[in-house]
Amino acid sequence: NNSYQLSSVPLQILFYVNGIYYIFYFLATLAMIVYKSQVFSYPDDFLAPDLTLLFIMAILEVLRLYLGSKGNLTEEEAPLGLSLVITVGSVILSVYFLVWQTYVLKADVIINAVLLFTYGLESVLQVIAIAAFVS
Amino acid sequence: PPETRAAARARPRSGPAPVTDVAKLCVCDLLVAQCDVNCCCDPDCSAADFSLFTTCSVPIVTGDSRFCSQKAAIYSLDVEANPPERIFKLIDQVNPSVFCIHATNYEQALSFSSPEMPTAENFDELLEQFGSASFSAEPDSWNMNTDAQNPSDENETYRYEYGVPIQTVDAFLRLPSPVVSSWCSDANPAGFLLNQATKCIRSLSVEKCGNIQAVSMLFYINSSILAVSITVHSIVVQSLNGMRTLLNGSDVLRLPMVLDELCINIVLGVSYHITYTDAGEIIEAAASFVLGAINKEALSIQQSFEISFTQVHTKPVPLSGNPGYVVGLPVRAGFRPQGYPFPIEILFAPLVLNTNKYSQLTILQSTSNQDCLAAQGARTPILFGYNMISGCKLRITAAMKCQPLTQTLLDLLKGQSFPEYVASFGNSQAQDVLNWVPITHLHISEQRIYNIFQSSCQIPISLEMEVKWTKYGSLVNPQARIVNVTATITTTTLKQLPSGRERTIPITSSVVFTDISSPAEPGYKAWPTINAKLPFDFFFPFV
Repeated sequence: NNSYQLSSVPLQILFYVNGIYYIFYFLATLAMIVYKSQVFSYPDDFLAPDLTLLFIMAILEVLRLYLGSKGNLTEEEAPLGLSLVITVGSVILSVYFLVWQTYVLKADVIINAVLLFTYGLESVLQVIAIAAFVS
Repeated sequence: PPETRAAARARPRSGPAPVTDVAKLCVCDLLVAQCDVNCCCDPDCSAADFSLFTTCSVPIVTGDSRFCSQKAAIYSLDVEANPPERIFKLIDQVNPSVFCIHATNYEQALSFSSPEMPTAENFDELLEQFGSASFSAEPDSWNMNTDAQNPSDENETYRYEYGVPIQTVDAFLRLPSPVVSSWCSDANPAGFLLNQATKCIRSLSVEKCGNIQAVSMLFYINSSILAVSITVHSIVVQSLNGMRTLLNGSDVLRLPMVLDELCINIVLGVSYHITYTDAGEIIEAAASFVLGAINKEALSIQQSFEISFTQVHTKPVPLSGNPGYVVGLPVRAGFRPQGYPFPIEILFAPLVLNTNKYSQLTILQSTSNQDCLAAQGARTPILFGYNMISGCKLRITAAMKCQPLTQTLLDLLKGQSFPEYVASFGNSQAQDVLNWVPITHLHISEQRIYNIFQSSCQIPISLEMEVKWTKYGSLVNPQARIVNVTATITTTTLKQLPSGRERTIPITSSVVFTDISSPAEPGYKAWPTINAKLPFDFFFPFV
């Protein structure tokens, strides 16, 4: 029954694309950190936080996409709301990798910009979906 | 950056501050205060120098090229223009690679960190950290705190080292000298503790007399050596015929000016005298000038420059070796007035341009016109180890009387004040009587015995000095020591000439150095003796 379907199809598509893109982002960032540690002077004090934050970001992303997808499909606002909160954390981490990382290469700037754009779009669609589910 | 360091007291010495501005960096600028060939970024080069270059050896100066965007200084030569000129462009260079560094949050990332300079306080700590066979590449204590680096501060005293160019407020203290040809080049910096004396030719004419800076006194005393200003010690004025007079008041600045078709007050010679302390600081600088005049026909002048250094609270006595004589340095000699040898060289005033020859053993100097009576006392110092011979021709006429001729020839051969003692070592002091060797005088006469009843006139015709020296001291570093000096005057009979006739006889003067060192004997250390003596109360009850 399509008329009673409140789940947002664009949001779901975006979650799916985000998942695939994030796998690419994670592998690319990890590869670039390895490259930087070989080519530049990357002491351990600076390497450890960068790697830790990358893995934390990966875990948060998995959680976020799962909760968001589940909330969208079951039309419940609680998981979707939680996903939105986690999105804020992911945005902060993405900004870290864009601005406060030890070495910010041009490739870093590009992939983080795309990720932030995706997060922004997702946040908007999530808010709309929550509004739709609540009312 | 100049080669200066902060005074090594309690504060640790830091190296010069790193230069990071690409417009100021120049790796091919190797010569101080001089233009390097084909170096387009050298600030010492003028437009005329650039027109002679063929290429630029350093075409671009950039920082790390891994940055996405950075400043670059590009130097190139425009050969199409006439004359060729250098083009300098400051651009932002963009790295097209996607892996270029956009930003970095780690300050020490792409520059070499300055290591800590060891001082007395942190030496032990540094030794502990770096003294073993290996150490960790990036220890925690390597903090590049820019506060510790203190770039050159005007109020600090500068410590000079041997050979370092003496700095002035704008550049370096310059001592013009001939480069390649005999023409003066003003870009020769004076080095600390390097006593130099140079002579060079400068083109000058009466019309351009006021325009050329390098013949004006102001050029030489204008630049002050940082905190010390150059004072004028004395001015000697040389007239057109070569006669020199010392001026009384030497604080007046005399600038070149045209007077009666002559250009007067042009600098013919400058003698700098720098006083330094044993900490390597310059505390005083004085300049003595010789000013002269040129007339309309003159096209160039010869300038002579010298610089000498004296340590403060010492009197400059030129040694001829320390302790043994050095080959090529003058033999020192002196007189003995009542009681002890008193070398007149103590009165040596370093600030007068002509040196005092009375402190040395001298020999007649041959002149281009070989006439003995015309050669007015030109003498040259005897240099240790160099056998010399000189002479002149004496024209004897019938009218010459014996006694005055003898006296004139003796003065000619021996000089005005022939010394009585010669220093045994190169550094003999006046107070040590035993370090001075008396000169033995001998007299040989070439007498023809055919007519002993005729009253003859003996005139000296040659002076031969024989200096016997020996090697003294250790086998590996023998020092030359003079042991004996003999001056032999040979006289001959002067036959009376019929009137109208004249005769020419040669007068010679020579000095020969003979090595009379005995072969060295190796000396062995004495065998240790067994000191076996019974104590004096050994036989106590019986003795």
